[in-house]
Amino acid sequence: MGTQKQTVGPMSGKERVLAALKREPVDRTPICNPTSVATVELMDLVDAPFPEANRQPELMARLAATGYTELGFDTIMPVFTIIQESSALGCKIQWEQKDNWPTVRMREPIWEDVDEIKIPSDYLTHQDTKCVLDAIKILKKEYGDDVAIIGKTMGPWSLGYHCFGVEPFLLLSLDDPGKTKLALDRMKQATIEFGVAQIEAGADALTLPDHATGDLVSGEYYERYLRDLHTEFVDQIPIPLILHICGRTVDRMDYIAQTGMAAFHYDSKNEPDESMEVVKERISLVGNINNPETLFSKGPEDVRGEVYKNLESGVHLIGPECAIPLQTAIENLKEIPKAVQNWHKEHAGLN
Amino acid sequence: MGQIVDIGKRIELVPMDPHFHDITIALYQQGQDESPLFLVHTYSQMEGAQGRIQFAIETMTHLGNLVEDTNRLLRFPCEAAHQLACRRAFLESCKLSPNDSAEPRPLQIPDKKSGLTITVDSLGQGIYQVQADGEGRRADRRISAIAGGLMKLGEMEEVDGTLDKVAFPCGHSHDALLGLLLVRAPNVRAIVREQEMAASRGVLAAPSQQN
Repeated sequence: MGTQKQTVGPMSGKERVLAALKREPVDRTPICNPTSVATVELMDLVDAPFPEANRQPELMARLAATGYTELGFDTIMPVFTIIQESSALGCKIQWEQKDNWPTVRMREPIWEDVDEIKIPSDYLTHQDTKCVLDAIKILKKEYGDDVAIIGKTMGPWSLGYHCFGVEPFLLLSLDDPGKTKLALDRMKQATIEFGVAQIEAGADALTLPDHATGDLVSGEYYERYLRDLHTEFVDQIPIPLILHICGRTVDRMDYIAQTGMAAFHYDSKNEPDESMEVVKERISLVGNINNPETLFSKGPEDVRGEVYKNLESGVHLIGPECAIPLQTAIENLKEIPKAVQNWHKEHAGLN
Repeated sequence: MGQIVDIGKRIELVPMDPHFHDITIALYQQGQDESPLFLVHTYSQMEGAQGRIQFAIETMTHLGNLVEDTNRLLRFPCEAAHQLACRRAFLESCKLSPNDSAEPRPLQIPDKKSGLTITVDSLGQGIYQVQADGEGRRADRRISAIAGGLMKLGEMEEVDGTLDKVAFPCGHSHDALLGLLLVRAPNVRAIVREQEMAASRGVLAAPSQQN
């Protein structure tokens, strides 16, 4: 329990999150949502349904705020989707309805060759990036003293999937490592520009999803293509960064810990103990509460069990492993902060 | 600060109601298996939303044999949970628009698969017998399959090893509820597929997992 050993006085949610991202002492483990806790019921509660809540800043801010006002998290994260930048880059988007996530039409890629990569001049004023920036400004004004406002900027590997298509981009990485590195280097500008703009809008930290996922990309691949790039982001985007990669990622956690990122948002396919053992206090861990089997399909008792398991392992920030399914029951989400608080009560004086 | 209070355990969800502005309607259970109460609820504060909820409640009383208690809570007259059957009554009620009839369904249906007419007779004490009439084929197999469907959909039990009789464990008759389940009993696989499809919507996949 690295971050709880030293006793500190009461902290605001914002102070708690920012301290845990630096692995400094906290009054209790923060509850952090680096991706999305939006549900269809919360959309109804504040009259901010998808897809509009992904495209209109007032609705985006209103829905995001429920993570704090209704669920009791220490963070507010307004960037629910993973497609805002790709939309601004020119990808075709399937916006879907209230009950589903918008997706990029990756079968209709916008780029076929590295030379075609171009960041549009209106990249940061496009409706779907500007919406995020404006939502962050709204949230900063209303909740900025209380909780950490977390933004999101997609990494170049994810943008490569969206803009080239998954299969062409993976084949490129196999056939021509040089061109792949060049593509990543050109796309990184989109990550940096959007990240910096969110800092200026008032974000306290940023999630950086880069989907070098355990199912398709090996740890060696991560080291070859992304470790140095992610290290560069730490310098270029001056704010605590939370790297997000889905799936089993223990084989690359050592490399991830070398990047200087503040935290790694990790999947339930990785055990908390083994993950903490690999990262060795070089980077904070956040997440791990299973989405499809636990938060979506089981009850509060099971949620509590997973929260406790992470706390026992000394995981720095607790939260869902990824964007939660939109039909998740509110009672399960509310159980996360409840369980964290109960655990700390049970362990008061034991540290 | 928050508006959400504990209203029980959510046991079923209609994420988008096609008959009223795509609002989300949920079924919550209050209390455990002994004498539970059911709450039909929406968080929508849209004008008319509570009218839509009242329609769903009333439809459940007609189609599912539930009774409306105080504070718009529902329960079965026998006070048993019948949770799966209650969820089915909720889902079927939400499928109806205010213009649709909410009359209890008959205990007789045409079975498209066999061409037979399937009839269910109440034998009292919660026991029902499935029978088949007509020119169709494989009557015994269809009776057994439909009885099996009723057991799966309504958590009913088989009676003394027979293939044509099923019973509600509470020992009480629920004719309207059985009529509701009977419509779906010939094709339980379709229900399972429908549930799986509904559950998979709204789950975010990594780009590499998307079609």
